[in-house]
Amino acid sequence: MNANRLIKLELSKLNVHLPERRLSLREALSSARPQVVARDGSTHAFKREELKFLAGLLPEAERDKLQLPILIGLEPKLGRGTARISGEAEVRVVSQVLEKEPAAGELLIYRPEVAILRKKLPTTTQYLFLW
Amino acid sequence: MAVALAVPPTRMELLKLRQRVGLAQRGHDLLKEKMDALVIEFFEVLRRIQEARTKALEQLFVAHRALSMCFAIVGTLETKQASKETRRELQVEISTRHIMGIAVPAVEVREVERNALVRGYGLHMTSSVLDEASMEFERALKLLIELAELEGSAFALARELEKTKRRVNALEYILIPRLKETLKFIMMRLDEMERENFSRLKRIKAMLEERG
Repeated sequence: MNANRLIKLELSKLNVHLPERRLSLREALSSARPQVVARDGSTHAFKREELKFLAGLLPEAERDKLQLPILIGLEPKLGRGTARISGEAEVRVVSQVLEKEPAAGELLIYRPEVAILRKKLPTTTQYLFLW
Repeated sequence: MAVALAVPPTRMELLKLRQRVGLAQRGHDLLKEKMDALVIEFFEVLRRIQEARTKALEQLFVAHRALSMCFAIVGTLETKQASKETRRELQVEISTRHIMGIAVPAVEVREVERNALVRGYGLHMTSSVLDEASMEFERALKLLIELAELEGSAFALARELEKTKRRVNALEYILIPRLKETLKFIMMRLDEMERENFSRLKRIKAMLEERG
């Protein structure tokens, strides 16, 4: 039926803005034009001031571990408005930005915190829709 | 009340419908998450628009005051003449950036504030108040370009928000209730057929017992 096809199409379009390959913070800092190519072929550029802000939050040795953009995973089964941040360096950075207790490996944040995170890091974070 | 779809009441159809309800529910939940994320982005852009508009209006006020001073000191005709001589081109790079797959405009201006020598009007016939008024207007132009970029983003986000909301509503109020109603109808029909079968078998058994 048409409705089914449309829903599948909608779901497939949800994550087209995500990059094909993420950049590490070190790579982004050393690049003249720090940007990633999205799955739909468009480019997503990072603001240099944001990169410098992130570099200030992490020790020099961990700049390879932080993959950009940081993905804010929205998963309906976690509950509406709840988002998951994965990755050790990503969790550390987000915890510092939100002034939360750092968690190991994974961090759950809620809608007001997502808004703060997006406000502080508009180009170095992106939404990821999971199901 | 939602109208059930016209489908044959079979177990096969029941299984297919259950899958479709699951898919529709999943689509609905995800689109609702997308809508929430869009709302967050939209309100952030609105906040920035408010700030940018306040700044631009303040700067325009300053610029108009400087222009009035210029009219008073240099003279209206001379100022108008100088404005006609001014170079009017501005290098603007318009590209798009993406917020959740939505293309929003990104405007990059190299240099809005110019040197008095580059503006194009003759310096020997004009005064420094004209330079000051020009500079204030150039500053205002930069702020107006930023404001235009933000307003473009707000329009694009609002359009996507409207589209997503329509889809969420279509799923929530039309498709999912209709599928659930159909599911209920098929289950009731299958139960009914099972009861019919059961009573038929009982009747056949009773008839066989009577004969035997």
